Amino acid sequence: MVTTAGIDMGIQTVKIVILKDGEVVARAKAFSGFEPTKAAEQAYAEALSAAKISSEEVSNVSATGSGMDMAPYASGTVSMMGADAKAGVFLFPSARTVIDVGAEEARAVKCDERGIMMDFVVNERCAAGAGAFIEAMARALEVKMEDMGPLSLKAKRASPINATCVIFGESDVVSLIHRQESKPEIARAVFDAMADRISSMVHRLGINPDVVLVGGVAKDVGFIESLKRKLGLTILVPEHPEYAGALGASLTAASRVKGDHK
Amino acid sequence: MKSQTAEKKYLPEMPQKEIDEANASVKSTSEKIMVDNIERMKKTDPNRPAAMKYFDDISNFFGQRKEEIEAEKAKGRKVIGYFCIFAPIELILAADAIPVRVNSGWYDTSKFGDRVVPVEVCPVIRSTIGAKMIGLSPYLELSDAVISTLTCDGMTKLSEILSDATQIWTMTPPRVKDSAQSLHLWKEEIKSIKTQIEKLTGNKITAKKLKAAIETMQKATKAFRRLQELRKGNPVIMGRDAMLVNQMSLWDDITRWIQKTEALCDELEKRAAQKAWACPPDTPRVIVTGTPMFWPDNWKLPSLVEEATPQGVLVGDELCSGDRILYDPVGIDEWTMDDMINGIAERYLMASTCPCFTSQDGNEDRINWLITKVKENNANGVIYYVVRGCMLYAMEYARVKRALDKLSIPVYYLDTEYTREDVGQMKTRVEAFLEMLSARVDF
Amino acid sequence: MYEPLVGTILGWIVAVGIALAGLLVILIWKKDRTRKLSYLRLFIQMVSLVGLFYSFTLSLWLMVFVIVIFGLTFFSGRFFCGWVCPFGFYMDIVSLIRQKLGVKYWMLPDRVNRALHWLRYIIAAVILISPLLLGALNFVPASQIHALFLRGPYRPYAILLSPLEPLVLPFTGAIADLGFFDWSISYPYARDIIFYLDVPQVTSIIIYVFVALTLAATFMFRRFWCRFCPTGISIAAANRFNGLKWMPLLHINKVEEKCTKCGICKRVCPVQVTEVYEQKGGNIAPSTCLNCMRCIEMCPYEGCLKMNLAGKTLIESRNWLEPSDVK
Repeated sequence: MVTTAGIDMGIQTVKIVILKDGEVVARAKAFSGFEPTKAAEQAYAEALSAAKISSEEVSNVSATGSGMDMAPYASGTVSMMGADAKAGVFLFPSARTVIDVGAEEARAVKCDERGIMMDFVVNERCAAGAGAFIEAMARALEVKMEDMGPLSLKAKRASPINATCVIFGESDVVSLIHRQESKPEIARAVFDAMADRISSMVHRLGINPDVVLVGGVAKDVGFIESLKRKLGLTILVPEHPEYAGALGASLTAASRVKGDHK
Repeated sequence: MKSQTAEKKYLPEMPQKEIDEANASVKSTSEKIMVDNIERMKKTDPNRPAAMKYFDDISNFFGQRKEEIEAEKAKGRKVIGYFCIFAPIELILAADAIPVRVNSGWYDTSKFGDRVVPVEVCPVIRSTIGAKMIGLSPYLELSDAVISTLTCDGMTKLSEILSDATQIWTMTPPRVKDSAQSLHLWKEEIKSIKTQIEKLTGNKITAKKLKAAIETMQKATKAFRRLQELRKGNPVIMGRDAMLVNQMSLWDDITRWIQKTEALCDELEKRAAQKAWACPPDTPRVIVTGTPMFWPDNWKLPSLVEEATPQGVLVGDELCSGDRILYDPVGIDEWTMDDMINGIAERYLMASTCPCFTSQDGNEDRINWLITKVKENNANGVIYYVVRGCMLYAMEYARVKRALDKLSIPVYYLDTEYTREDVGQMKTRVEAFLEMLSARVDF
Repeated sequence: MYEPLVGTILGWIVAVGIALAGLLVILIWKKDRTRKLSYLRLFIQMVSLVGLFYSFTLSLWLMVFVIVIFGLTFFSGRFFCGWVCPFGFYMDIVSLIRQKLGVKYWMLPDRVNRALHWLRYIIAAVILISPLLLGALNFVPASQIHALFLRGPYRPYAILLSPLEPLVLPFTGAIADLGFFDWSISYPYARDIIFYLDVPQVTSIIIYVFVALTLAATFMFRRFWCRFCPTGISIAAANRFNGLKWMPLLHINKVEEKCTKCGICKRVCPVQVTEVYEQKGGNIAPSTCLNCMRCIEMCPYEGCLKMNLAGKTLIESRNWLEPSDVK
């Protein structure tokens, strides 16, 4: 019986997944805030209590995410792309491309059937292809971020904007407002622009079906629809996409216990 | 009319006080960075070859080598700087002048360059302009003339901008290498540079002197190739150390450099015989290609690769600041003046893999160079390093990627700036790439 | 015609002596790796010269010579021209002297060079067809003997053997008497000029002009005569047919990836062959190539250029700056 934990020290949130013999037994999430380590400790305690186990029972903890070096308890780290690949193939064994769109970064990973990453691309230091873009645009439209997706589905046509960066994107949105476009249309334009960026990133990598979408933004129906349209493919989305990183770290921890991963 | 020619076209006036302050502050940072880089190199390889000591010393921009050049200059020898490795070193040596490469690797000077050119411009250019503005680079300041080859757009305008403050000799390389008219143009450029060198130094370049210079450089190539050869097997030297040695050939007295490099190679051969590897033999082997990286500041990527977890080792590169510097010899059939000039012209133009060239098949020389390097050095992956604004390298990426995909060699495109702030982000990427390579090595 | 037995034995002693001397020089010659192969070639040329010298004295059936040369070329390209031909050797010696004098060579424009190469075919065609026009077929009874010794209507074929004529010959018909063991100074094509243009005074002037012109041209352009010499034709033809590629022909082979196109191979070629430089990779068998292997010798990239015979590598380019040379 092997119990392992994965900590994803994300930019906005800390996510924890506990695995027991290849089954997810607990998930927990906390805002990173100013003291990510503390947040991670809290989330970890929460996850342990949800799984009803003590910390001694966890044989290995691995960390991932941009703040992985700050992760508590972790005995090893794995890159976010490596974790994505592992989680993607664990969730959907047919997955060969994993797209992870997080709060401030987007990446696409090509992997093989064992969940080993073969190649990857990262959205180069620009939030226009990441969750922060939706957040900023929601603010400009004065709607809640969660409502953006359902809102965009009501759009009747596409009106293009250019997602070069969050700041210029916002001014684009404002000009759409001035042209008196309706909110659903603008919301869809925002997702289309984002999907445009992500899809060109994925094209640079080469599309290898099946495509899995994970990360916080994968919960947004509007974005999923736009990305499907852009890529012209069906996209697999897991039930808890934001935990993919933590799941991948936890899987890595499990294989470390088995000894087939350094 | 005279006042017009003396008028500065580009460079802004800076108060002397500001120049002095900037110079002092960048210099002290730079000195710290040089020491820090060397310390980190020592830490990565605890059994660092003893012969590296010499290169550590000579690498100090403001130390021994600078004083030596100053002393030689006082004796009447001329110093000739150059930007791209198209400058015919043999001719400079034959005229008894000192060749030094003057590209800038200082991050902090690029912000002064921003006052002249926009930030979109390649940081190597901006940094070099900045270095000139505050008089930082000792070699650039000591140069009596600078040979600038108009390779990329940045270099073309850089020579124009610097001509405000330094004597610049331009050389126009043709954009297509293998046509009769291209070679003709380039040979004429070489001949005109020869005349200019002779005029400046007052020394006639005779066939005998030129032959001696070519033979010296052939010896340098021999030592250089010997070092690169040693990097093909299990790692006996860390990539950064080898890169430092390679780069010192640009500044050091070449005869002494040959001796020291041969001594280093002797030591490395002994290490190889004892199987005392610089890092575990299964460390992922990485080759870097793209924009040149200059000592001291732009040591960012090599440090990241070799200090990462999992660790990587640079076994070679395709950089004009690295393995390409002395790789190609001048091959002479008949030691007549004419054949020597032709040989020099052909070596500097035709063997170059600079992305400023194209042909019917594009810049395939570079692809071939890289593929050979990957195969011979058993590289596991390639990092394609580009500083933002370096158009030519950035645009060639797609082709390089496709060529390497065919060999199923992973390649990662890494773009950065002349700044220290993005080290964190770069680290994430480099480590993910190395993790991927080591996973591939394992299975 | 036949030399006494003693003379033949003496001749062989001389030949072996020259060969040993040449071998000794090669053994001493360690300094420059880029010249070893050239040196070997000069040595083989020297030995061939001696061999041909004595073959001529034995007055073999000349037609056999023509057939052997043409047959050999089927497999080895113009190897004969590069490594055996005495006239080629003579031109190489002239080049060496020019080098020692520090005089530069000239290059023919590539277009002229190619035109000369095609001229070769025309000259050779004329030579090959002329016996038929001279009514060789009508000489039925004696034709066999005539053909074997290249006499009568078959005399034009002898022109193809002219480059093989050593500068010193043991029989007359040459341009000047040296008065030394009855040996005379000769010159390639001189006897052909005498044969076809036997006008007193005029002939010798023409010969001297011919000698002076070829010498001057050879001094300026490396291997000048080889660029249109009709004897080089069959070789050229055999290598031109793609259908014959399966044969164990000598080929230069180039590894595309290792080539940096530094241009050395193009510059050092004595007959200005551009194909080795221009062709991307694989087997390269240009009809102008003498197989002198100078390009292979000078290529500074290990294993980039090779000389292949039936797929086996005979010689390949080395890093002539290799470190093992230091010790």
